[in-house]
Amino acid sequence: MGSVFAAAPLDNSLSYSFSQAPNAAASGIREHSFYPYTDNGGSTLGISGADFTILAGDTRSTSGYNINTRYAPKLFKIGGEGPEGTGARIVLSVVGFAADGDALKERLDTIVKMYKYQHGKPMSVAACAQRLSHILYNKRFFPYYVHAILGGLDEEGKGALYSYDPVGSYEREQCRAAGAAASLIMPFLDNQVNFKNQYIPGSGEGHALEQRVPAPLPQKVVEELVVDSFTSSTERHIEVGDGLQMMIITKEGVRETYTELKRD
Amino acid sequence: MDTLVAQYSRPAFQNEGYTEEEQQDISQITPPLSLKFALPPISQPSSWLRAMTDDYSNPNCPIKIAHGTTTLAFRFQGGIIVATDSRATAGNWIASQTVKKVIEINNCLLGTMAGGAADCQYWLAYLGMQCRLHELRHKRRISVAAASKILANLVYSYKGMGLSMGTMCAGVTPQEGPALYYIDSDGTRLAGNLFCVGSGQTFAYGVLDAEYKYELSEEDALELGRRSILAATHRDAYSGGFINLYHVKEDGWVKHGFSDTNPIFWKTKLEKGEFSNVTSELV
Amino acid sequence: MPGFDFSNHNRNAALHAQGVPLPKATSTGTTIVGCIYDGGVVIAADTRATSGPIVADKNCEKLHYISPHIWCAGAGTAADTEFTTALISSNLELHALSTGRKPRVVTVMTMLKQHLFRYQGHIGAYLVVAGCDPTGSHLFTVHAHGSTDKLPYVTMGSGSLAAMSVFETQWKSGMSRDEAVKLTSDAILAGIFNDLGSGSNVDVCVITQDKTTLMRNYITPNTREHKQRNYRFPRGTTAVLNQKIITRAEISKYVTVHEVEDVAAAAEKMDVDQ
Repeated sequence: MGSVFAAAPLDNSLSYSFSQAPNAAASGIREHSFYPYTDNGGSTLGISGADFTILAGDTRSTSGYNINTRYAPKLFKIGGEGPEGTGARIVLSVVGFAADGDALKERLDTIVKMYKYQHGKPMSVAACAQRLSHILYNKRFFPYYVHAILGGLDEEGKGALYSYDPVGSYEREQCRAAGAAASLIMPFLDNQVNFKNQYIPGSGEGHALEQRVPAPLPQKVVEELVVDSFTSSTERHIEVGDGLQMMIITKEGVRETYTELKRD
Repeated sequence: MDTLVAQYSRPAFQNEGYTEEEQQDISQITPPLSLKFALPPISQPSSWLRAMTDDYSNPNCPIKIAHGTTTLAFRFQGGIIVATDSRATAGNWIASQTVKKVIEINNCLLGTMAGGAADCQYWLAYLGMQCRLHELRHKRRISVAAASKILANLVYSYKGMGLSMGTMCAGVTPQEGPALYYIDSDGTRLAGNLFCVGSGQTFAYGVLDAEYKYELSEEDALELGRRSILAATHRDAYSGGFINLYHVKEDGWVKHGFSDTNPIFWKTKLEKGEFSNVTSELV
Repeated sequence: MPGFDFSNHNRNAALHAQGVPLPKATSTGTTIVGCIYDGGVVIAADTRATSGPIVADKNCEKLHYISPHIWCAGAGTAADTEFTTALISSNLELHALSTGRKPRVVTVMTMLKQHLFRYQGHIGAYLVVAGCDPTGSHLFTVHAHGSTDKLPYVTMGSGSLAAMSVFETQWKSGMSRDEAVKLTSDAILAGIFNDLGSGSNVDVCVITQDKTTLMRNYITPNTREHKQRNYRFPRGTTAVLNQKIITRAEISKYVTVHEVEDVAAAAEKMDVDQ
């Protein structure tokens, strides 16, 4: 009797957390006081089509359980003129630490503008994509805490989308979700854009069943997928909500839309 | 004392706005591949970087860098086979299933990517630049030995700073014949006939060592490369996606597809009777 | 033997020392409030339950029954609030039967604080206790470590600051029932919209000497939107390598199968949103 309580952990030598693993095992001296990052939450996504690219992001900025603002854009026009970014053909989306994202956007914007003034022609998306990779890698030892996605139209007029890790590894893709709700959106996009795990009904028995072949989606369908991605992640992720900012890049230019999301 | 010196030798406002050098960087026409990197304003940048980005020593690190791989390359009588999977992982998250882990340095030199994706992409691009400069200076193609040494010396100069790469350089030159080198971020540089690198290397070695012969025909060599990667994607959770196959010959490399592992797996199982441990029988 | 089983404690501590993080408990990052008015007391809560940054339940119940005229709003670890209030509710019923008197709110508060203090905060229950008894209407807060407060208006949980800002600007003494319900629900709404840990709907419970009214989903400001597209897959989209049909006769080998006459009445209706 009483043995169950006798073993109760009432000493304070062991206090352990639910969210963090202990760091005691690691070697070397660590600087714990220098933590220059904050996660500002939110999510972004991009999908490219045959003759367009859509980038989208929610407009909530958070820190911890607080909302900093309900309207903080994560999408930026790159290389345009004036505060409205007139004439821009490239859009950058950044999610993660907003201050790093802002610094990154300013850097890329300046570079793309300088390129245009020096060469007398706008920078191609492929060149801009590579340059962005190098900007990120230049801070390899003090990284930008961001996941970037770059969108535009390539030299053939096809939709181009590039995604980046925080230190600049990049890849051209059909679709990509980044940020807090990436793990909610990306599997949905794999299924709906690249038709992963979808087979053509009646095309065969067992192993002969054919996979559904992905084809570029029409713009309207993509816009609907984007809206559904964000309304769904607003339901289940606390850091996503308030507003949805979308930029649609076509040969006519960049069209920007804003729709409301739930604010709870 | 050192920290005091460090503290007073750089003014606090140094990082505000763009420095003159940075402004030049931005407006420069020359490619921005450079050896100048921003460093955090603290005394121990490398341990700080490890705390921030190394998901092995700290699973809750805030910045997760893409990792995880199986890559292989081997020499045989017909040249060199290079094969990789295509999965990139960041912690437990599959960041991508379509990564190009064979980096085409130029039309007769290939590099492979294991470890940090950005490190490999950037430094192999840098290597490509150096190789081109070598061609222009010396009016002939660089040897694989020299190219691999440029890379090895480069990463050695960053030793301890936190670079993470395990790469293979494969190429065929008239003076060397088929040449294969392994270089990693510790500074190791090895010449050899056969290498597997990455989290799935053991699984790939298992298949490759069993079947490997220098006298392999081209077709058999390609199949062996494919089968070794397949074995690794089957058993290593951090490898998967597509099989990327290359054949390097004297007159340059040839790509042999970027093919989905899933149908290849079932084909291998059903047609050759391998992977008999996998069944779709219901108990 | 009552109480908690600590037999895995040493193992878990050793695993944790090796770098294994503990499993995440569902915690109700929450807004809960309470307010006394002339003739009774009101408590209210939001309905979001989170697990880290993920919403685990969009419409959970955070108002717990203690006795017919005493209710409790819980924040903190969901399982702890649920079981602590259930345990106290049970003990209180026994206490009421043995004394032959109506249970008092102070009794509940005392039982809760003594229980929680014994566990030194390891039971993560943060509670607002409210009710009416022969001595009048009462409102208390109980913290996980065992401390308590008695105030005319209280807030707890991650949205407590947002909610308290409403109370501090709008509360006045001698409110009517309707005013009190409006004030508490406004306080919860402040939590729902300004605290990420709180969300979805407002639950309100009004307790007076002769009646308790639980208003589940009193305000629903966050109904789910319709999807733009239809995500119904044609039959045969998913690859199937093999199938096996299990007959009822075979199932009976493993479980007991009963025929139920009225299926709709027998099965508890699942809680789904519109």
